[in-house]
Amino acid sequence: MLDTRRPGLVHACMAVLRRDLTLAWRQRGDMMLPVLYALIVTSLFPFALGPESALLRRIAGGAVLVTVLLAMLLALDAMFRSDIEDGSLEQLMLAPQPLALMMGMKILAHWLATALPLIVIAPLLAGMLHLPGAVMPVLLAALLLATPLLSLLGGILVALTAGTRRSGMLLALMLLPLCVPVVIFAAGALAAAQEGLPWIAPIAWLGAALVLAVVLAPLACAAALRIALDS
Amino acid sequence: MTEMTDAPATTPLLEARALGFHRQDEPVFGPLDFRLAAGELMLIEGDNGSGKTTLMRILTGLLRPEEGELLWRGEPLTWDRCSGEVVFLGHQLGLKAELSPRENLAFTIGLHGHRNQSDIDGALRQVGLTGYEDEPVRKLSAGQKKRVALARLLLIPAALWLLDEPYANLDRSGIELVDALLEAHIAHGGAALVTSHGAVQFHGGEPQRIRLHA
Repeated sequence: MLDTRRPGLVHACMAVLRRDLTLAWRQRGDMMLPVLYALIVTSLFPFALGPESALLRRIAGGAVLVTVLLAMLLALDAMFRSDIEDGSLEQLMLAPQPLALMMGMKILAHWLATALPLIVIAPLLAGMLHLPGAVMPVLLAALLLATPLLSLLGGILVALTAGTRRSGMLLALMLLPLCVPVVIFAAGALAAAQEGLPWIAPIAWLGAALVLAVVLAPLACAAALRIALDS
Repeated sequence: MTEMTDAPATTPLLEARALGFHRQDEPVFGPLDFRLAAGELMLIEGDNGSGKTTLMRILTGLLRPEEGELLWRGEPLTWDRCSGEVVFLGHQLGLKAELSPRENLAFTIGLHGHRNQSDIDGALRQVGLTGYEDEPVRKLSAGQKKRVALARLLLIPAALWLLDEPYANLDRSGIELVDALLEAHIAHGGAALVTSHGAVQFHGGEPQRIRLHA
């Protein structure tokens, strides 16, 4: 009866990743919204502040950073929404696979689909605001560490608010205090690089926080979902 | 993963002792006592709102029972103990509307594995969806979506089937399909719990019945 072949962990992880990326690709219109938002916001800065390149150069790093993180927030509350609505999440929870690992894969897929396009256009955004070329690698490093951190922290909060309707507002309020340290360290690295000072320390802090989040956030996310659906 | 043959014959697959559930101090159902062994079918009958779906969610381990206890192969049921051995078909089918039936089932297999000698195309043929393998699920009718979910039963190697209203949205041949799937599953030593508010035709012996009252 139970004469079966159980899939291995790697196989299951790939299944989750492949499905979520296929879904993201089928709905790539949704995927473009954060990118479009970031482009519009960045192009409005010179209009609002004046095209004076010295001023723009000074704010460029921080403006791009905040714009990218805000653009990510647009897509954040959709992270598990469709899975909860169509019952996929229940099926995932009943699968003989560790839920935390599966949630980790879902967060990774979400990051690949929403944050990676933003990182790809970040040099363009930075160029629009005259960010010095020497600071560009630091900006990319800061974004590569800050955006997955935000996805992981966001994943926990989305899971916590999974049972509630219209959780978007609550989510934004809860995420704000978690965003602040991420922005401070990322912006610190950019400011230091722009003044020609060593910038490795804040980047290392971001890296450390990311390592911690990679390990702990999927566990917290799985636990939160079990609580949220137990009602 | 314990094989079904490892369990002593006297230990039922699933046993409920004085199981009860409340929602905001209003009793939803219970206290319920039942034993379900391998090769047995149990029908849960009751009107709308009598707590059938709540009972199902408790039996999957998604919801914690508030009273009584629930044993899986003689030990308290937790989601990690029964995961992979239980397949749940609820009102929400767990299908992705943007993916085709084939892609949806490939994902199921990726998580659960599949029975030997079963494959996606064979399962889709058996539930009568030949020709729809690559259509997005959102373009299928409600009954066809249900059939995609039923194909999952053919693929997932589970001992216990929990089917919540499996007959909803199905035409006459679909209802016969569910009955045939259940009979084959029971005949192969599986167990199933089926909720229904209508009459169920089952030819493989007399099933146990539980009646819930609103």
